[in-house]
Amino acid sequence: MITSIDVILVVILLSALLSLGSSRMMALVKIMALQGAMVSIAPLFLEPHSRLSNDGVLFFQLMLLIKAALIPGLLYLAVTRVAIKREVEPIVGYHASLAVGLGLILVSAYIARHLGIPLSGDYTLLMITAITTLGGGLFLMMSRTKAITQVIGYLMLENGIYLVGTALTKHSHSIYLVEFGVLLDLLVGVMIMGIILHNINRTFDDVDTTYLGQLKD
Amino acid sequence: MLESIFLLPLLTGLLTLFLPVRLGRVVLVATALLHLQLTVTGWLRAATPHLPAYFGNTPAGFLVVLVTSFIFVCIAPYSVFYMREQEMKSEPIFLGCMQLFLGTMSMAALADHPIVLWIAIEATTLVSAPLIFINRSKKALEATWKYVLICSVGIALALLGFFFITLALDRAGIDVPLTFTALNTAARQLDPLWLRTGFIFVLIGFGTKMGLAPMHTWLPDAHSEAPSPASALLSGALLNCAFLGIYKVHTLMVLAGLGDFSSALLIGFGLFSILVAGIFILNQPDYKRMLAYSSIENMGVIAFGIGVGGLGVYGAMLHLIHHSLLKSSLFLSAGNLVLGFGTKLVAQCGGMVRLLPRTFCSFFGGFIGISGLPPFGIFVSELLILTGAFQTGHPVAAGLFIAALVLVVAGFARIVMTMSFGPNREEVLVPEQNARIMPPLALLLTSALLCVWMPEPLFRTIVNTIAVIGGTIHG
Repeated sequence: MITSIDVILVVILLSALLSLGSSRMMALVKIMALQGAMVSIAPLFLEPHSRLSNDGVLFFQLMLLIKAALIPGLLYLAVTRVAIKREVEPIVGYHASLAVGLGLILVSAYIARHLGIPLSGDYTLLMITAITTLGGGLFLMMSRTKAITQVIGYLMLENGIYLVGTALTKHSHSIYLVEFGVLLDLLVGVMIMGIILHNINRTFDDVDTTYLGQLKD
Repeated sequence: MLESIFLLPLLTGLLTLFLPVRLGRVVLVATALLHLQLTVTGWLRAATPHLPAYFGNTPAGFLVVLVTSFIFVCIAPYSVFYMREQEMKSEPIFLGCMQLFLGTMSMAALADHPIVLWIAIEATTLVSAPLIFINRSKKALEATWKYVLICSVGIALALLGFFFITLALDRAGIDVPLTFTALNTAARQLDPLWLRTGFIFVLIGFGTKMGLAPMHTWLPDAHSEAPSPASALLSGALLNCAFLGIYKVHTLMVLAGLGDFSSALLIGFGLFSILVAGIFILNQPDYKRMLAYSSIENMGVIAFGIGVGGLGVYGAMLHLIHHSLLKSSLFLSAGNLVLGFGTKLVAQCGGMVRLLPRTFCSFFGGFIGISGLPPFGIFVSELLILTGAFQTGHPVAAGLFIAALVLVVAGFARIVMTMSFGPNREEVLVPEQNARIMPPLALLLTSALLCVWMPEPLFRTIVNTIAVIGGTIHG
C-alpha cells in the first residue's frame, strides 16, 4: 500500500541523491527548495499530527515559508548576485558522489533496522530518509569547494536532523515556540553566511574555499 | 524576573545598531553596569523565572552569568577607548553586537530547556560572527567563515544529541516536562543507551564550541582575528557557556548512574586538548594565537577537573572563574600591544618593558597568573584538580596532566620573554592610556583577591553547583 507519507519521503530521498549528482548551482538551489518544502510538510502526514492545534497550523505555515521560500530565495540571490561560475566544481566526482549516496542509503537502512527501538512501517522509511539526508549533507560540505555548496550541505544536514527528531521523539514534547526558535536560528545563520559569502566574493573574486587557507599553524 | 537579565542587553543591543556612535558607546557602558546590577540582585534574591518551562535559576547557570557580567563590565569601557584609537566604519554594529552577544550568553546560561539552551548557543555564534568579521580583511573573512560553519555544524550535532536524550525520556515512558531540572529528578529511569549516545553527540557538538581538541580548529583563527575586546569576550565568556551545556548533560549522566562513562570521555578530551595546545604554543609566531591556544588548554583543564570528580570538580569551577578573569585581562593587554606595536607577530615586538611599561605590568601579571603561579587563582585551582586526580585514583592521567601543563608554560614563557625583554623597537604607534590599562589590571586584582577572600554567597553557589555531581571541598 502506498501512502502519501511514503511518496513524500521518497521525494526527499531522491532530492538528497539529486543534490549529490547535480552539476549546476541553480539546480542545486531548486532541489533545496523542493527538499525544504517536503521536509516541512512531512510531519503533517504522520499519525500523531493529524489533529492539529491552531499553533501547529501557524507553525507549519511559517516553516514552509522559511524552508521552502525564504532560505532558497536567499540562496538564489547569492548565486545570481555573486555571479559565481555556475558549475559546482566537486572534489569528488558526480558519479562517485552518487555511489556514496547509494551507500549511505544502505548504511541508514542497516542502522534503522538495528536501532533497538520498534519503529512501525512509516517510521522505518522516515529514519532511513533522515540519516541519508544527514549524511548526504555532511558529504556535500566536505566534497565541494564552493562556499555556497557548503551552506547547502549545512541546510541538508539540518533537514536530516529535523527528520530524525520527528521520527524518534514523541510529539507531546513539540512546543512550537521552541521549534520556531530553531528555525529562526537557521534563517539568521543562512543570512549571515550569505553576507560573508558576498564579501568573500568581493575580496577574492570567487567563492572557492581553497582561497581560505591563510590561517593555519 | 529572571528573564530581564538577558532581555535587557538584547533590547539595548538591537537599539544600539541604529544609534549614532557616541550615544552607542554610552549605551554599551550603561548596559554593562545595569546587567551586573540585575545579575547580582537576581542572584542574591534567588529570582524566579517568569517562564519556568524554559528558564531556571540554577547555581551553575548563575555562576556563569556572574563571571560573564563581571568581565563585561571591565571590557565595555575598555572597548570604548580601544575603538577610539581605531578608525572603524561600522562601529555601531560592533557596539550593538557586543550587547547582543552578552544577551545571548546570559540566555544560554539561564536556559533550563535543552532546546532553548541550544537555540541560545547557536545564537551566540550568529551574533558574534560580525564581531570577528568587523575588520573585513581577508584573514578576518576566513576566520569568520570557519567560525560560523564549523560551529554551526558542531552545534547541529548537539541538537541531534538533545533529540536522543528526549528519546531516552520517551523510552522510559514517564511523563515529565523536557527541562534539565525535571530530567535530573527522573534520571534513574531514563534509557541508558540513548542517554549515552546523546551525551557523545552533545560533547562533540558543544565541545566544538568550547574549543576541545580535535574540534578546536576554528578557535585560534577567530580569537586572533577578532578585535581584542571581542576576543576577550569570546575566550572569557563564550567558552564557559558552551562548557555549561556539556556540564548539564554530564550532571544528568552522573545522576543516571552513568558518571564513569561521561567522566572517562571528559578526561580523555581534556588531556588531549591540553597536549595539543602545548604543542602548538611551543613555536607560535603570533601572540594572540598563543593566547587562543592557551584558552584551549584551560578548557581542557576544566574538562579534566570535572572528569576526575571529587575535589577536582571544585577545582574546575574555580578554574572557570579565574581563567575567565585572567584570560580576558591578557586579551585586553594584547589589545594594547596591537595598538602600540601595530603587529600580532612576536618577532616584531620587543622591549615591551621599556616602551610600554604599564602594559608590560598587566601582560606579565596575566602570564604569571595563567601559568599557575601564585598569587593568582589558577595556582589554587590547578593544585585542587591535581589533588583530586590523585585522590580519585587517576595517577597516570595526573602525570600526563602535569607534563602537558609544563609544555604549555614553557612555550608561553619563551614568547613572553622575547616580547618583554627582546631587542628594542624604535617607537610605538599609539601611546599607553590609563583608561586602557585599568580594566586588565582590575581583572587581575579580582583574581588575586578571590584567592584570599571569597564572598560567602559565591562560595555557597559553587558548593551548591558541585554538590549535585558529588564534588566536594573536603579532600
